[in-house]
Amino acid sequence: MNFLNRAYKNVTRRFTKSILLAVTFFLIGNLVILGLGVSQAAENAKLLTRQKMRAVVTYEIDYQEYYNYINTLTDQDEINDAYNNYPRLNKDIALEISKDEDVKTFNYMTTNVVYSQNFTNVPLGNEEMNNMYNTYTDELGNVIEYQSPNIYIFTNIIPNMIEFEEGTNQIVEGRFYNQQEIDSYANVVLVSKELAEVNNLRVGDSITLSTQDLSSIDSNYENFGITKEFLTNEFEIVGIYNTNNDIDPNSQNFKYAQPYESPKNYIYMPLTTLGSIQYEQSIKMEEYYNSMYPSYGDTSVEPQTIDNYLIPHTVVLLIDDPLNVDDFVARNANRLEQYTRLNANNETFKSISKPLDTLSFFANVIVWIVGINAIVIITLVTALTLKTRESEIGVLLSLGVSKVKIVAQLFVELLIVALLGFTLAIGSGSLIAGSVGDKVLQFQQSQEESDDDDYFSYSYNDPTDYFSEVSQEDLFSEYRVSVNPILIAEIYIFGLGVVFIAILIPSVMIMRLSPKQILLSTN
Amino acid sequence: MSTILKLENISYGYIDGGFKRDILKELSYDFQEGKFYTILGPSGSGKTTLLSIIAGLDKQNSGKIYYKGEDLDKLGLHKYRRNAMGIVFQSFNLINYLTALENILVAMNETDNELPKNHKELAYGLLNMVGIVESKADRQINKLSGGEQQRVAIARSMASNVDLIFADEPTGNLDSKTELEVVKLFQNLTEKYGKTIIVVTHSEEVSKLSDSRLFLKDGKLIDIE
Repeated sequence: MNFLNRAYKNVTRRFTKSILLAVTFFLIGNLVILGLGVSQAAENAKLLTRQKMRAVVTYEIDYQEYYNYINTLTDQDEINDAYNNYPRLNKDIALEISKDEDVKTFNYMTTNVVYSQNFTNVPLGNEEMNNMYNTYTDELGNVIEYQSPNIYIFTNIIPNMIEFEEGTNQIVEGRFYNQQEIDSYANVVLVSKELAEVNNLRVGDSITLSTQDLSSIDSNYENFGITKEFLTNEFEIVGIYNTNNDIDPNSQNFKYAQPYESPKNYIYMPLTTLGSIQYEQSIKMEEYYNSMYPSYGDTSVEPQTIDNYLIPHTVVLLIDDPLNVDDFVARNANRLEQYTRLNANNETFKSISKPLDTLSFFANVIVWIVGINAIVIITLVTALTLKTRESEIGVLLSLGVSKVKIVAQLFVELLIVALLGFTLAIGSGSLIAGSVGDKVLQFQQSQEESDDDDYFSYSYNDPTDYFSEVSQEDLFSEYRVSVNPILIAEIYIFGLGVVFIAILIPSVMIMRLSPKQILLSTN
Repeated sequence: MSTILKLENISYGYIDGGFKRDILKELSYDFQEGKFYTILGPSGSGKTTLLSIIAGLDKQNSGKIYYKGEDLDKLGLHKYRRNAMGIVFQSFNLINYLTALENILVAMNETDNELPKNHKELAYGLLNMVGIVESKADRQINKLSGGEQQRVAIARSMASNVDLIFADEPTGNLDSKTELEVVKLFQNLTEKYGKTIIVVTHSEEVSKLSDSRLFLKDGKLIDIE
């Protein structure tokens, strides 16, 4: 009869004692599952939501940090200098980061809103409120007509973009612009299928765009060569794309939306093309402004070069897996210059997941408290039980049974009972955890909603914002406590740990015993 | 007849309240194989301490004990208890959540001594030998009378096929009729199976039936009959 057999017989034949101990483990198990289940469900909800989020990271200027730096300055010249020399993204660093193994593709972007000249934009359906051509009356009573920008230009320095890589946009005719066109600053563009249809455009056709409202160009500009022709550029359509993206006509801000906000009015071209146009125009504009407003001329500012116009406003990197985003940021953070950052939109995610974090925190606290109490209780119970079993231990020692085997027997006895208690607790505990978790989240959500009632928020749909919009409802909808193999493994590991620690003190007591002491005291 | 257990200048004592208390004082004796010994003496004479030491439950302060010529220090008390001796206690000390049979099997499982393969059959045989029939052998210990429990304890002491059986007041909790039955069992073990039995007792009746009587007083062996 080995120690396993003895342990089994002790548990089954001292039934009442075993049941009482199993009930103790059952109660402990329920609380632990409550804690572990809630915590795990919260973490799972965050993970699932994170997986649904677009895996993008932006390399951008950390304006907050830069303003914090400016706030530390006291000398006015230094402050002016700081405002005149905003930090810029570093092209080399951007390209180095984009070579990371986790980067699928990237948008090294400069964007601009421009004016269509020989074609019209795709109507949004809110034109009663927003006309492409608007008017105002000047001080002489003349009605002046002016044009609003209606096309959004997106650029890149590689012949791909995140939208096309992800499949949000698909080329239905023609092709994407190629590297040769990028390197040669070619005037090539991709337009949307709807824009092509509205204007009866095909691949190979040309469109003209201006970077300024041409109605504002007068003789003063023309004297400096800033003519309507100079500001207008012709582009060849090399590709037509279909987009799954659209502006939401039911959104609160739809009636105020401008045509360029519609993805159907986005035009894609090489960054070098837009950069060279902006550079050429900036030279003449600078001459114009220096002449018209000489007092504003600042000779200390370095002359512009085309390179200044090839620096992206934003670099958006598409990562292969949402779960690799944090690792990617950590891996590349040390490459960055001061006042720049890699933004994974964690602040937003952290903000919406705060109730889950709070829930998870308290759930973990419960696990710790219950765990410590369980160890204390089971240790005491085992130690007290040991007193009643001194005679048995003495006899076993006198028969030559090793102390290790005696401890092992006690361990197995506790383990059998713990397994029974925890197994029963898995069912009831997960029900309790689900119910408690839901109630706490509902409470937290209602609290936050009542706090939010005090504010009116206006949200602008920024087309250069590649981060997924995830709401708290999306996150909470993923929260569900379920009995899964990981939870079951965790509860059993917890039980094993409690039993192991709880047996330590009684084991020390046993190790200190000699058979003579025990048998003399019991005889 | 050869010496099975040789005691050489065994001393044992402890410090109590700053004073040294000597329990056993340079005690020497040779126990012969196949004999039934009783150790007698007044309370506090050191009988139980001597039994604990020679049974390997405790260790002497000085002196040597040899089992079949081998020093117990070298043999190891744990191994000695497992393979060389069995012990019977006054209060039986059986494991109460096990049956009589299972109590025997515990001892059989631990020993390194060679035993027949069918432990169960052997255990039933041992129990039968001490007067516990099969129906009672499968009962839990607390369902047996005191006398029956002591018989089970004796059967357990023999279960490992050991040469030495120690008993500490084995009849202290038994009536005189049962006491006699138990002593006869010990006699039978020496005569029929060649076991060496060493019993600590206060009982004159028990001691009269032994082959040798050792009288202890103040930790010294004062007389041998």
